Amino acid sequence: MSQDDLLTLLDRVVDRATNGELVEAYGIDQTETTVKAYGGDVESLSSAQTRGVGIRVIVDGGVGYAYTADTSEAALAETLEEARVNASVATADPANVLAEPGDQRNLDGLYDPRFTQVAADDKVGLALALEAAATAADEIKGVDSATYGDSDATVAICSTAGVRGAYRRCDAYLGVEVLAERDGTTTSAYGLDLRRVAEDLDVDAAAREAVERAVRLLGGRKPASAPVPVVLDPYATAAFLGVLAAGLTADAVQKGRSLFAGHLGESIAPAHVTLVDDGTLVEGPGAAPWDAEGVPSGRTPLIEGGVLQGWLHNCHTAARDATSSTGNASRSGFKATPGVSPTNLFLQPGTADRDALLRQAGTGFYCQQIMGVHSGADPVSGEFSVGAAGVMIRDGAFAEPVREATIAGTIPQMLSGIVAVGADLRWLPFGGGMGGTTVLIDGMTLAGA
Amino acid sequence: MLPPMTFAIDDADVRAVLTAALDAGADFAELYAEQRRGRNVRLDDRRIEDLTSGRDRGAGIRVMRGAQTGYAYTNLLTRDAMVEAARVAAAGVQGNAKRTVADLTTVSPPVVHPVAEDPFAVDGRRLVEIVREAEDAAWSVSGDVRQVTVIWADTSQDVFLANSEGTRVVERRVRTRLVAMVVAARDGVVQTAFQGPGAAVGMELLRDHPPAEVGARAARQAVHMLDSRPAPAGELPVVLAAGSGGVLFHEACGHGMEADIVAKQASVYAGRRGERIGTPQLTGVDDGTDVGRWGSYSFDDEGTPAQRTVLFDQGVCTDYLTDRLRATELGIPRSGNGRRQSYAYLPIPRMSNSYILPGDDDPAEIVRGVTRGLYCDDLGGGQVDPASGDFVFGVDQAHLIENGEITHPVRGANLVGDGPTVIGRITAVGTDFGVRQGICGKDGQGVPAGLGNPTLLIERITVGGTG
Repeated sequence: MSQDDLLTLLDRVVDRATNGELVEAYGIDQTETTVKAYGGDVESLSSAQTRGVGIRVIVDGGVGYAYTADTSEAALAETLEEARVNASVATADPANVLAEPGDQRNLDGLYDPRFTQVAADDKVGLALALEAAATAADEIKGVDSATYGDSDATVAICSTAGVRGAYRRCDAYLGVEVLAERDGTTTSAYGLDLRRVAEDLDVDAAAREAVERAVRLLGGRKPASAPVPVVLDPYATAAFLGVLAAGLTADAVQKGRSLFAGHLGESIAPAHVTLVDDGTLVEGPGAAPWDAEGVPSGRTPLIEGGVLQGWLHNCHTAARDATSSTGNASRSGFKATPGVSPTNLFLQPGTADRDALLRQAGTGFYCQQIMGVHSGADPVSGEFSVGAAGVMIRDGAFAEPVREATIAGTIPQMLSGIVAVGADLRWLPFGGGMGGTTVLIDGMTLAGA
Repeated sequence: MLPPMTFAIDDADVRAVLTAALDAGADFAELYAEQRRGRNVRLDDRRIEDLTSGRDRGAGIRVMRGAQTGYAYTNLLTRDAMVEAARVAAAGVQGNAKRTVADLTTVSPPVVHPVAEDPFAVDGRRLVEIVREAEDAAWSVSGDVRQVTVIWADTSQDVFLANSEGTRVVERRVRTRLVAMVVAARDGVVQTAFQGPGAAVGMELLRDHPPAEVGARAARQAVHMLDSRPAPAGELPVVLAAGSGGVLFHEACGHGMEADIVAKQASVYAGRRGERIGTPQLTGVDDGTDVGRWGSYSFDDEGTPAQRTVLFDQGVCTDYLTDRLRATELGIPRSGNGRRQSYAYLPIPRMSNSYILPGDDDPAEIVRGVTRGLYCDDLGGGQVDPASGDFVFGVDQAHLIENGEITHPVRGANLVGDGPTVIGRITAVGTDFGVRQGICGKDGQGVPAGLGNPTLLIERITVGGTG
């Protein structure tokens, strides 16, 4: 469905609004292709077409939501009615507001016209080549999965407040999980490449990344327990940024669920640490011209010069704090009401590459895999103890691999222990776009047997 | 009992779709269509923050030739749209078989999961009252309660499945769940607790789990944990309370028994059928037939009847969990575990309800036998690397065991280990049994998964703590 067709569909919903009623309609039309290769052959080829509309109604301060995958005129009318009924039993809250119309400009580079020119055979070829490249390496016994995937999505929003806009974005990716084996023990690791279109994907880079990360873990043993400097690899950093992000939303702060609440304006990290959310960085997975309520995306510094600067807002949290939305309303598709989450969240990169950070650590633990970050890290208290696998660092270089370890500490300790952020920023699609960089942190506790 | 099914696709349309799907020479074609209603009421920060209802529907067409699969789906349930999707799916798997569509026969279910009170006969106003009851009870537990979140969720999923072998299946799956999350704080210590009963039943869920009780229990747990100390670290004996350890078995053993992971040699249990891995006290099953449980169903999402499958029989690695594809590939029976999140996904082997079965030991005696250890009342989420079996579990609520007595609450613990080693260290199994409910994620698909276990003693496991 074109952007105009989707907008027309949404217009018809908004036109049904009665006096005193606020109505917002949000629609998605998405086509996806996934090709999985295994054993030198295509394992599966999936093609998906999803369309749906979510309708938010605010009546007398109460908000209701309803969605439908059936976009016929009758189904949309029925869905609007359901949203009205839901609104009538919800709690009235003056902070239930719709976004005011802003600058509904497009973000250049979200869509690449080359996307539609990629033949199905080329997509299959990429998946097969990815598996072949990964399994050709020494000590690799196979892949768990080797996937080419792409998506072409049109998103539109219309509301009685006057918001009206649509955009289109395309994405293509390669993802491979390899299995490495030595002396009867197996390790696994991911490699990933995200681009706008298939022809820009780098098969060898994705395969090499998975292979290097899996082979590096072979022969791992439990480490001795000790407080050591930890170097997080980009995947581990991205996972930790996800935990940080949960505490940096205004929603968490307002509900007493953030360990950062009450610390605005305080120094919580060394002066060289800057943490930014920026939905306008077009290469990031979280890029969009505007957020899930139609508020233009922007750059929001959360920690600057080590000082806590602010929170991520959607329109509701902003209204509660009498401030403006930062353009961080998010939804997981058309079935959900807008929440608050990061777009592209990253630590401002430094100048050192990974090897320089290993040398700077001297002795320490290179943490490559974090396990249980969502259960082992408490976003409220900031205490965490998570499972980890990686490699010991000795004399500034990789030494023996480590498995079944835990690293423990608190989020505040970890932030204040950041010694250096690497120059190697890349985007990883972990709950929005998370900036993966190598990071050297002092004073965490590594525990083994 | 069950409200009448209104969802079906007529034979002529089914034949047209399956015929188009077989047209490019595949061996097998399947049409999976569903219509789903769902509601979600979320109370947070004293407000009904979200009241959502919705309808989703779609049809997925799967075409198979040997180990190759083509799949396409559409939101539109017209014959034309489904035939078009069938052609797209078929293009992925060219072959030269000349199969035709067999006459369709409706399979009767091996087990049904009765619904006494249809949730969709209950209006939003009543749901708001239910959620408020749980909330009020939570706040009234203690002045230390800082935040209460309560969620009601119900779904009704009508599935229609037909395949080129002539199998036709219809099923309505109703699930309800009430979740309470409470944050308590005192003197700078913040603790959260969770309760989330759910089942494949209707509103009668609330008879077994009155809302006030669910809310109060979560609040009492959070407040109790305010007195906790940091958990000890190191290798300790650990007792898992009935119901609390099912998630560990699910993650560390169950996933490795799923036949797709086995077939790819990515499981630590691959090639080990018949081998004793666990202790003789340990018997573990997957059981989709347990009536009315969270992970139960009549048929899996390929039309195979639900079953009970023994994974570990007195410690011996027994049967893998299969879907159609992997059963054929490994030359073993279909176990009724081909599940999918929705019409948008291909089915893959998944657990239904994974249980460790009760044993012979008195739960109180198990605790009395431990000199110094950890008693886990509730585990949190976990993660496992199936290749190595390595896992990590957060412990939501735990106590120290000192000289055979459960004593002080401790926080911040997690359990680190690997599946085969841990099941080889389960040296006592209680006569009791408890269940929990989860949403299991695999390959980007979430499905309801039931968990269950009796009181268990793991004689030694690494506890990652902060104390």
